[in-house]
Amino acid sequence: MDRTQRPRSVLDSLGEELIGILTPVSICMFTVVLLVCLLNSDTSSSASFSSIATAAYSETDSDSPWDKLLGAFLNSLVFVAAITVATFLLVLLFYLRCVRFLKLYMGFSAFVVLANLGGEISVLLIDRFRLPVDSVTFSILLFNFSVVGVFAVFMSRFSILITQGYLVVIGVLVAYFFTMLPEWTTWVLLVALALYDLAAVLLPVGPLRLLVEMAISRDEDIPALVYEARPVIRDDSRLVQRRVWRDRRSSQNDDDLENNEVVNVVRAEEDEQRSEISVPLIERSRPESSETFLEGIGLGSSGAIKLGLGDFIFYSVLVGRAAMYDLMTVYACYLAIIAGLGVTLMLLSVYQKALPALPVSIMLGVVFYFLARLFLEVFVVQCSSNLVMF
Amino acid sequence: MTVAAGIGYALLALGPSLSLFVSVISRKPFLILTLLSSTLVWLVSLIVLSGLWRPFLPLKANVVWPYALLVLSSVCFQEALRFLFWKLYMRLEDVLDSFADRISRPRLFLTDKLQIALAGGLGHGVAHAVFFCLSLLTPAFGPATFYVDRFSKVPFFLISAIIALAFVTIHTFSMVIAFEGYAKGNKVDQVIVPVIHLSAGMLTLVNFASEGCVIGVPLLYLVASLTLLHCGKMVWQRLIESRNQSGPTLR
Repeated sequence: MDRTQRPRSVLDSLGEELIGILTPVSICMFTVVLLVCLLNSDTSSSASFSSIATAAYSETDSDSPWDKLLGAFLNSLVFVAAITVATFLLVLLFYLRCVRFLKLYMGFSAFVVLANLGGEISVLLIDRFRLPVDSVTFSILLFNFSVVGVFAVFMSRFSILITQGYLVVIGVLVAYFFTMLPEWTTWVLLVALALYDLAAVLLPVGPLRLLVEMAISRDEDIPALVYEARPVIRDDSRLVQRRVWRDRRSSQNDDDLENNEVVNVVRAEEDEQRSEISVPLIERSRPESSETFLEGIGLGSSGAIKLGLGDFIFYSVLVGRAAMYDLMTVYACYLAIIAGLGVTLMLLSVYQKALPALPVSIMLGVVFYFLARLFLEVFVVQCSSNLVMF
Repeated sequence: MTVAAGIGYALLALGPSLSLFVSVISRKPFLILTLLSSTLVWLVSLIVLSGLWRPFLPLKANVVWPYALLVLSSVCFQEALRFLFWKLYMRLEDVLDSFADRISRPRLFLTDKLQIALAGGLGHGVAHAVFFCLSLLTPAFGPATFYVDRFSKVPFFLISAIIALAFVTIHTFSMVIAFEGYAKGNKVDQVIVPVIHLSAGMLTLVNFASEGCVIGVPLLYLVASLTLLHCGKMVWQRLIESRNQSGPTLR
């Protein structure tokens, strides 16, 4: 009996772009949880991490809950205010077309993150695992690693896998340091940032909305750290190629303007030494005419989803902070965040306008964390410690 | 007892599901999404149940009937949720079929539907293993181990991993049976799934007796293998049926 080739079912490739975004988010969260479990197991995290987020109030264990809450509010207020100022500054610079300056600053901040934070975490890991490495080798390796990272993030013709890897690494490093904030401050800060995101993208006066509209009207990319899922090219000849080189879009390809560029979130966050600007969830919906659309080195593109690095960072901060309590909360928060991301993408395809990527996931994550901590844990431990399962 | 043991226990509970995931589910992105959403549904059902039972916890240590009530209520709730899940899936199937028509591709094959049901069941099973076994495994990565009074022969982690493995099997394959049963209106299949789930839950109550695990766990595995056999037989019949229906040329 000869086996005829089965026609491709619709199920074979549906949802590929979504998985292309879910995978790096999951990897980032998993790495942060791993780092938190490895590095926080012995000493408590009372080593003071002073940053702009703890400028107003630094939490100590002896304060009453009301004091802690109030202090956390003050901290988040200061932080959100700093971010707003930085974003407006970014909008101003973009308006004055200082794009080159912004790009250089982005490169500089990427280098600082990779070298400084990466170095600190590597030293902690070396200390934890007692690896025998001498300082000269270590500094050479670190320097090379950071420089390659800067090139990967800002040169356009770099292998997309390495670029994605470095973006995830940057997200992991920043997220790990944010998890070292005091507990109440972290939770209130996450909620405050989610609300800020909602306001900044949806209000007409919001800085992110202004930035996005300017970028769309000039048809330029926002100079920021953006994770781009590998675009998948779909031909009718059943070949699915993946674009290997990340291309700069040449301005004479007018077909590109027909794409509905929908932008989600832009956020600028400032910490003591660095500022990273992360760009929204952009979805390019492929118009029907672009079957034979060629660009750059001759490959078409379709449906590349871009997610801002700040979203990676704050999802991972939430999960990392959940990991400091127990692994059950980690699983609950992970599922909540993934569900929130899915809901956001669905809303994006329905509303076709700028939507923030943080609020739904963060709100769901926070709700699930507290539900898991208060209800779920008691229930499950009660059942499974008696070996009663269902 | 060290990282090796911890990883060993985790793989004991989740090993077969990992291999199922890698070989079947990771090939098609849609199945990964189905798995994630069914895991979420199971988690939500667990949270609702824990919210309902919170005022009554902690239960007294050696009294069996509150636990029986707990298991009964939880199983009923989850079976009701499974039916709702199936209704949602039917609507999704319609959407997918109309999408397939629009882009002039063939509609969902039987194997596609079975794979979606399998992914849904695997999601439930993985959620069960994660919340009932893996989340308690953190101490196992340390230098010591833990024994429960009721079963002093085997470490607690090992026995919970073994029980979790049985439940993963039961959840995974009973979802396939349930979906086919609801789709065909087959009463036997529809009824057998809640019965299996309930009996498995009740069998774990046998663990309350001292050294009860010696009886409870093999019986649980008996139920799991019955589920497997029934599911295999049903799927085989359906495949033969559909092959005969569509004739030898199409497949």
